[in-house]
Parts: sequence; structure tokens; C-alpha cells
Amino acid sequence: MQLIVTAINKAYSSVQAVKNVSFHINSGEIFALLGPNGAGKSSIIRMLVGMTKPDSGSIMISYQDQHYDHVPRRLLGYLPEDRGLYPDKSIEKNLLYLAQLHGLSKSKALTEMAYWLDVFELTTRRHDELKQLSKGNQQKVQLIAAVLHQPALVILDEPFSGLDPINQEKVVLFLQQLKAKGMTVILSAHQMAMVEKLADHMLLMAQGQVVLAGTLQQIQQQSQNQRQMKVGFSSEINMAQLEQLDVIVSVQQLQARHYLLTLAEQAKVSDCLKQLLQYGELTQVEMQSADLHQLYLAAMARHQPEAAA
Amino acid sequence: MISRQSLIVARWEFLRFFKWKQQLVSYLLMLAVIAAIALWSFFTDESQQQYRIAVPQELQITNTEQFQFQRPGIALETQLMQMQSDGSWHAVISLNEGQLVVHTLTGKKWLQQLDEVLQKHYRHLAAQQMGLDAAQLLALEQPVEIETRYLDQAYKGKDTPEKMIAIGALILLFVGLSTAFGQVLVSITGEKQQRVTEQLYAIVTPQQWMDGKVLGHSFSALKAMLTSALVMLLSFAVVSLFAKKAVDLSWLDISVVLWLVPFALLGVVLCASFMGAIAASIDDPNNSGKSAVMMITWLPMILTFIVIDSPAGMGMTLLSFIPLTSFAAMPVKMAMVTVPWWQPLLSLLLLLATVYWMRRVAGRVFLRGMQMYGKEPSWGDIVRWALSNKAD
Repeated sequence: MQLIVTAINKAYSSVQAVKNVSFHINSGEIFALLGPNGAGKSSIIRMLVGMTKPDSGSIMISYQDQHYDHVPRRLLGYLPEDRGLYPDKSIEKNLLYLAQLHGLSKSKALTEMAYWLDVFELTTRRHDELKQLSKGNQQKVQLIAAVLHQPALVILDEPFSGLDPINQEKVVLFLQQLKAKGMTVILSAHQMAMVEKLADHMLLMAQGQVVLAGTLQQIQQQSQNQRQMKVGFSSEINMAQLEQLDVIVSVQQLQARHYLLTLAEQAKVSDCLKQLLQYGELTQVEMQSADLHQLYLAAMARHQPEAAA
Repeated sequence: MISRQSLIVARWEFLRFFKWKQQLVSYLLMLAVIAAIALWSFFTDESQQQYRIAVPQELQITNTEQFQFQRPGIALETQLMQMQSDGSWHAVISLNEGQLVVHTLTGKKWLQQLDEVLQKHYRHLAAQQMGLDAAQLLALEQPVEIETRYLDQAYKGKDTPEKMIAIGALILLFVGLSTAFGQVLVSITGEKQQRVTEQLYAIVTPQQWMDGKVLGHSFSALKAMLTSALVMLLSFAVVSLFAKKAVDLSWLDISVVLWLVPFALLGVVLCASFMGAIAASIDDPNNSGKSAVMMITWLPMILTFIVIDSPAGMGMTLLSFIPLTSFAAMPVKMAMVTVPWWQPLLSLLLLLATVYWMRRVAGRVFLRGMQMYGKEPSWGDIVRWALSNKAD
């Protein structure tokens, strides 16, 4: 399976939700759409699901030598951002209904259901009504509903939202299982640590536009100009003074007398150290590559300064 | 053609509202209430009892099955005391300056029947005084018979059993559409509020989803109509039983009933599609005035009922061909006048085409409504979607 999205645009009334976005996803990949609220992630997902059409651009998918200009429903498993099932029905009835709509026979649906309920430790609760479950467990049921029919492409809009850290880890394992089964996954998320563990490729968006794209390594390389230096001083110094240095873009206090400095694009490390020494004795100097969270914040600061603040 | 997915949705929707235990209990309760009413009426029926009435010696009135007139030959005061103390009399009648006075303990329904017996007795007396014989008196008492002869051979008559069936059908349509009204509204807007809709959209097309909804709730409506008809028949049987009459269903004309079925079926599907379209355009039922519009579907029955006594008139003819009203009007017309074979057939075909169009409209409204994300479409939007040919 291969999904190619080329230069799609989407506007709602006067708001340009998606601007000239392109990406491609290969079979068995986990692809993450990242960005703050209103970045355009859900608009892209709704276009992929077919709920809306791009104003311009194209969405092409190839699957088993067949080519389509939209994602066929039979290939798709979907967890919407606005999610919910039938609260007065049991887990089993909810899942069986959706599985049968996907075309599964009852016996096949029950087999698949048993497998996934076991994965999420919900087997003993299969006859419970959905409204009796915690929010986290309801979300697990919803995740099962999205993959019960073994779709080629799984689209998950905010799969980690509303989950505690333990359940977030379970979702990570779940997504790794999907990948192991050969399913292609597109997910949108805010939880950078989770995405970092999972995603083969990612697309960082702000205000409908692509800010960064590629693998984590590629994004880190693209952000080389976002070098960061962790420094410690022997005594307290004025942070505002550091921020005024032309070799430094931003300063973040980590703990007492310790700071994380983002260096300016052309700044030399030696020049930076010389200038820092004017403010006091350095007890720690450590260059570090930014993690996804930091890259995300830095990118947001460049493209959407008020949101990052 | 109805897809497999639509049938799965239909089955789900039908069973979702099918609480058979609750329904069985409510029907049994309804029957028990009817039986209790019949039983109460039976045991409190005063016409079945006998009453002792004390009358003056000079009042030569004949006994009836209900009233035993006795002339005790004691003073009126004593009779009244007896009535109050030991219940010797149910009533005491006296004559006061030529006027009849009925003394009794309290108001009772049988007093009306006593009044009729006394009136009849005095009419007979008056007739005898005027020299009329029994036959002349009988002739006077008979109402004038006026026969209306209808030259239109197709008209089956005013108060025929077929008219009862037609009215019954209108009542059943009310029951069915009321059921569909509630369920369609709850089902579609509820799904939106429970946020199931977007999930379902990724699995089935809007048209498949809407077809399933319409079918499922039409089945529910038909089930409600069928069970109501059975309860009506059972109630009729229970009442007949207590009235000590044989259960007579000869008035039930099967040929008329058979014509009712396809019209009722398509009518319910048409109305459920219309309701589905309106419900699909409602974002939040608590803050939308659109749900009241769904009650328009009751209009065909009301309009038909207004012209039920002129089944061959222009009004009924018009209603029986307009597809939005024909499902109610044509069966009523057919029950009351004989119509050429092509008329119900043409009416059915027009209705079928309208049902097809309406379900497409409902599907389009659902799709477009979903794409508006929380913004409720205006009536202008809905009309534009209804008239557009685009499926997605």
C-alpha cells in the first residue's frame, strides 16, 4: 500500500485550514501528524477518510496493484477525534455491529474481538455496557473497533488523548502490533514522547502548513541550526541579559543556575562560550541534540510565536 | 437496491428500540385495563338488576323486566320510612295535584330508565284517551325513515364496515408515524451527540446509513401498527365477551386490508425518510426548532379525515394522487368507493418514485450536514441539497 498526498488545500469559509500539504506514506509505516490545535491535522484526516474533499490537490492510494483517487472504505480503519459508541450496548454488541458493517462474518468478528479484548485486558468485561466502563477503557474499545477488520490503513485521530501514562504505553504497544501485522498507521498526537518511540515518519504542522517533515533523524538534521547548549553557572545570573546576546535565540531555565540555550543559526560555540564567561564562571557545558518535544516547541516558536508562548 | 450494510443498520436500529419484554408487559397491561373496564361496566350495569317501585293504587302501570311496580296500600310517609330504614323500595312514586313525584335516596343511572318507562306509560294513556289504538300509537312513535339513494354505483354507502376499516387504518398510521417520529429523532440526533456518526461514516456511505435507519424505523413503525391492530382486535373480543356477544369479525374485509398494506408500508417509509432528512439536519435537538417540522407527516391523515365523508369528491381525489398524501387518502377512498384498477396502481407508482427521491434527499442532507461540523444547515441549504443531484 502506498498513499501519496500532493499539494492539498482546504478552506472553510474564510479560514484556510490546509495549505499546500504534500506527503507520502509507504506500507507498514507509522506516520504521525503533529501540531497544535487548529494546525490542520484533523482537516487532513477528514480528507483522507473522505468526509470532505480537498479544494485542490490530490490523494492517491495504491493497494494490491489497484490505484484509487480516494481511500476506499474497505481499506480503512478510523478512530475519529470526536468519538463515541452506543453507551447502552455491551462491548461485544458494539464491536460485533461495527465488524459486521465492515463485512466480517459473525464468527470471524468474534475471533478477532477475542484477540483484541485479550490484548487490552477487557475479556471479562465483554458483556458490560459501554457506559459502565472508564473513559480509558471506552477508548480501548474504540481502538479495537478501528482495527477489528484488519484494515490496510488505520487512521487514528489523537489516540493518546484522555489516557493515563500506563494506558498510553498500552496504546504504544497496540500500535507496534498493528505495524507488526503490516498495517499502515496514520496518527495525530500531541504526546511527543510517544510519537518519538513510534513514528517512522512525521509531519509537523502549524496554521495549516508543513513546518517540518521526515523521520526523527531527518527532522533533527533539518533543525541543526537549532543547536542547544546546557550550561551551569557557579552563581545566579540575570536571564534577560543572556537573552540579549546575539549568539542566543532563546533561554530556558532548567533549575537553579542551569539553563538550556538555543544558539543562533550562524553562532560559533567558542564565541558563545566567550560571551557567557562574561557573566560568571561556568560549572557545566553540554551540547545536546534536541528531542522531538524541543524541536516541536522551537518550530512552533518560529511559525506561531504566540502559540508557543 | 438495498445494500447488505443497510440491512445490518436496519436490523440494529429495529432491535435497538425493540424491548420485547417491556412491550409485552405494556400490551398485557393494556389488555388487563380493557378487561377491567369491561368487567367493571358489567358488574355496575344497573339495567341488569331489578328494582322495586312503590306506586299509588290508581297508577296502573305494567311491570317490566327491570321495574316491579307494587301498590303497598300504606301511607306515603310509611313507604318513605321503609325505603330509608330497610330498603323495601328503590323508589316511591306519588301523585301531587296530577304531577308525578319520584322519591328516591340518591341519584342513580337507572332513574333515567324509570323515567323512560313512565313517559311511555303516560304516552299510552294519552293515546287511549284520544281514541288511538296500539297500532296507531306505534306508528306515531316510529321515527321517519329517510332513505338516500346514491346514483353513483361506485359509492359503497355512508356508514359501511369499510369506513370503519378506513378510520382504523388512519388511526394505525398515526400510531406508526408517532413511533417513527420519536425513534428517528432519538436515533439520529442521539448518534450525533454520542459521536458515533463519524465512526460510521468511515464504514458505510451516508446513503447506506440513511437507508438502514429508514428501514429499521419503518419496521418499528409497522410493528407498532401491527401490534396495535392486534390489541384493537383483542380488545374488541374482550368487550364482546363481557357483552355476552359472539366475536363477529365479518366486517373485516380482507380485500380492503390487502390494499392497505402496500400503501401503509410505502407511506411509513416515505415519512421515515422525511423525518430522517430533518433529523439529519439537526445538530442539537435541545436547541433546534426543526424537530417540530417532522410532525408535518401527520398532515396526510388529518387532511384525509376532513374529507372522509366525501370519498368521491375533488378533495379526496386530489389527496389520493398526491404522493405525499396518497398513502392515507387512497386506501380510505378505496374502502368507500369502487375505483378503477389503474388508480391505486398509478398512485402506488407515484408514491414509490417519491419514496426513492425522498431517501436520496435524506442521504444527501445527512452527508452535507456532517460536513458542516457543528453548524446547523439553514432551510435554504436543505432545499438546495434536496434539489441537487450530487450524492457526495
